[in-house]
Amino acid sequence: MSVEPVIEARGVAKRFTGTQALDDVAFAVAPGEVHALVGENGAGKSTLIKLLGGVYAPDSGEIRVGGAPRRFRDPAEALAAGIVVIPQEIRVVPALTVAENVLLGRLPTRRALGVLPAADRRAMRAQAAELLGRLNLELDPRERVERLGHAERQLVMIARALAHRAQVLILDEPTASLEAREVERLFAVARGLKAKGVGIVFVSHRLDEVIAIADRCTVLRDGRVVEVLPRTALEVERIIQLMTGRDLAELRHPHDRVPGELLMEFEHAAAAPALRTSSVREREVVGLAGLLGSGTTELLQNLFGAGATRASYVLKGERIEIASPADAIERRIGLVPGERSAALVPGLTVRENIVLPNLHRLAGTWRLDTGKVDKLVRTLMDDLDIRPRDPGRPLRELSGGNQQKVVFARWIAGEAAVLLLDEPTHGIDIGAKAHIHRLMRAFAAKGGAIMLSSSEVNEVMAISDRVLAMRQGRLVARLDRGADYTEGTLRKALGG
Amino acid sequence: MKAEAARAGVSAPSFNWLLGQMPLVALVLLIIVASLLSGRFLSGINITNVLMQGAVLTVITIGMTYVIIAGGFDLSVGSVVALSGCVAAMTMVDYGIVPGVLAGIGVGALSGVLNGLIVTKLGVNPFITTLATMVLLRGVTMLVTGARQVPIEESLPATFNDFALERVLGLPYMVWLPVLIFAVCHWLLHHTAYGIRLFATGGNRDAAFLAGIPVDRIKTSAYVLCGTLAGVAGVMLASRVQSGQPTAGVLYELTAIAAVVLGGAALHGGDGKLYKSVIGVFIIVVLSNALNLANVHSYWQQVAIGLVLIAAAAADRLRRR
Repeated sequence: MSVEPVIEARGVAKRFTGTQALDDVAFAVAPGEVHALVGENGAGKSTLIKLLGGVYAPDSGEIRVGGAPRRFRDPAEALAAGIVVIPQEIRVVPALTVAENVLLGRLPTRRALGVLPAADRRAMRAQAAELLGRLNLELDPRERVERLGHAERQLVMIARALAHRAQVLILDEPTASLEAREVERLFAVARGLKAKGVGIVFVSHRLDEVIAIADRCTVLRDGRVVEVLPRTALEVERIIQLMTGRDLAELRHPHDRVPGELLMEFEHAAAAPALRTSSVREREVVGLAGLLGSGTTELLQNLFGAGATRASYVLKGERIEIASPADAIERRIGLVPGERSAALVPGLTVRENIVLPNLHRLAGTWRLDTGKVDKLVRTLMDDLDIRPRDPGRPLRELSGGNQQKVVFARWIAGEAAVLLLDEPTHGIDIGAKAHIHRLMRAFAAKGGAIMLSSSEVNEVMAISDRVLAMRQGRLVARLDRGADYTEGTLRKALGG
Repeated sequence: MKAEAARAGVSAPSFNWLLGQMPLVALVLLIIVASLLSGRFLSGINITNVLMQGAVLTVITIGMTYVIIAGGFDLSVGSVVALSGCVAAMTMVDYGIVPGVLAGIGVGALSGVLNGLIVTKLGVNPFITTLATMVLLRGVTMLVTGARQVPIEESLPATFNDFALERVLGLPYMVWLPVLIFAVCHWLLHHTAYGIRLFATGGNRDAAFLAGIPVDRIKTSAYVLCGTLAGVAGVMLASRVQSGQPTAGVLYELTAIAAVVLGGAALHGGDGKLYKSVIGVFIIVVLSNALNLANVHSYWQQVAIGLVLIAAAAADRLRRR
């Protein structure tokens, strides 16, 4: 390489008790380069980011910034060297304005009455406006951040990175909670920074986005670099194969279910007349496609009795009223909510999290049949391959994919007939995703019915028997398997 | 991520478990030091004295632990102790022991219902709610008693006082009652479906709701239990001092919360062990008893307890890191 990389890791290794998180890893970002970093959960992406960002020091090897070796004692030193990490969890101060958040840490001051140190609001607004302008963002510096959505808050963080004169911008799963239009805007911002010579590290599970934006892509597996792919070699199947070490064919499944009896039938208030009623059958997966905020989450929550109003629909030929999740659970309906944090209690054990909604079936009024519970939990942990195989482990110590399996396990334990799944593979790696897909197929094959909401068009198309498309709270289209069952048709219906 | 999980998996649990036993270790050390400093500490009279002092506080702290695990907070228990003691004494004078005791405990249960309903139905923050009922119930106590202790003469049934004096197996009934209450509450909290629901409600309210748990009812139940036990504590105290004292129980709420914190429960809910809270109670009681025996002024005792509380909270932060 002719130009010095803005940041480089040379032969870095990092070991935690019992695990080699990184082993002899080389990673370099050239000025003006978008370098994607991909790998399954546990491959070492987070550890590498933390080494670059000064959170950890490498056991061996070195980090170079602009060609010179550096040893950061803490993240503040890395920040001072122009290395900015934008984490998945956006950290802004909601009660402060956009300008204050952008300039937090280097607020301009003035002398009020010639002596008193005071914040210089005018200079602050001007500087913030200038930084936002460089990113082509139309945000009012005086707006309080609590009024902004997730995507805007993220952009405020990036503007803050500019205020710190970022040479390297590390984006950790930046698109996980964005909808298509917001992803486009983020990419436009990234391209603008790239043109100014900033090196960008782009960490993502979404491989189509990696292909869209990356100049190079480093694939990590088990703490080692498997391959560094140039832009011309970026291809989804190739990347997956490198990440998992398996052929994609193993991860694919044919579609061969035949739906059975009608199980559930419900009406939509907001839909075209022909779409007013929807139904789900046994052995059927009905997809719910929609962008963030399209109403798919609300629909599932409402069917589960967790919506704003009580639900009324037909289940097994009988009209029922669902006023609370307890009613739905009683009818053997289960919900896997979009946010895992809304489903699980981190301080309770895996065992307790699995039995939580099934306590009324497994316990008398007071006494808990621990023998029965233990047997059930162990069987489920084996079936679903929940690791580590320790029912007494606090849930917070499990990886995201394993936590999601726990949510599934609780409904399988409850012998659910209908599963309502809201973005069940959101934010988990490809291996765990394939596993969740297998679980869904197995559940449907045994006679269960599934409603699956997903913002990933290819995922929802691949698994569903039918897809309902939602836009701004309205049901706008229904796609049955047949000639028109294509991603193109669905994307057009979603307007994305 | 894998690395962190593995790190936690290999060495952390045993080490964490040990750190989690810090309250017990501290209590044992405290007892050893106290018995070395004063020959009177391990005397039968002093041990009974410590247990008597711990008895009332233990009963209150058990209820407080429930509320805190459920993600709540109860500042009103001290006022409940006063009100229930006075109501019990007043009722007892006219109607006898059993109605008196039931009235005292009933007042506690009712104030628990009040707290629970305000918190869950009106959605008022538990700190504000119970701060308000703390002041309110103290006012009610003053109103019903005319700010005088009841009764002034020894018109309380003599057998009521026996509860604090009569002994079984060498210890007063007053000491055995908390043991019984602890046994029942421990089983309820750590070995029943109700207990899991309580932890889930405090640990993640939304998740508990989506798991079909009636979170409002569970929370209210914790306040009712806490209020009821504060009522029991009020009656116990009235029996011990042979009167209803309208000024009784001041600062009991803070001592109980301190005991729960010393026992390592999380103030944001969803975490805690009942026996550790009781250990917390006895750290406070033994500490002030030992300082008493060493003739340390009570003002210095307060300073000492404050320091111990800070040390315990800091140690807990370290453990969670």
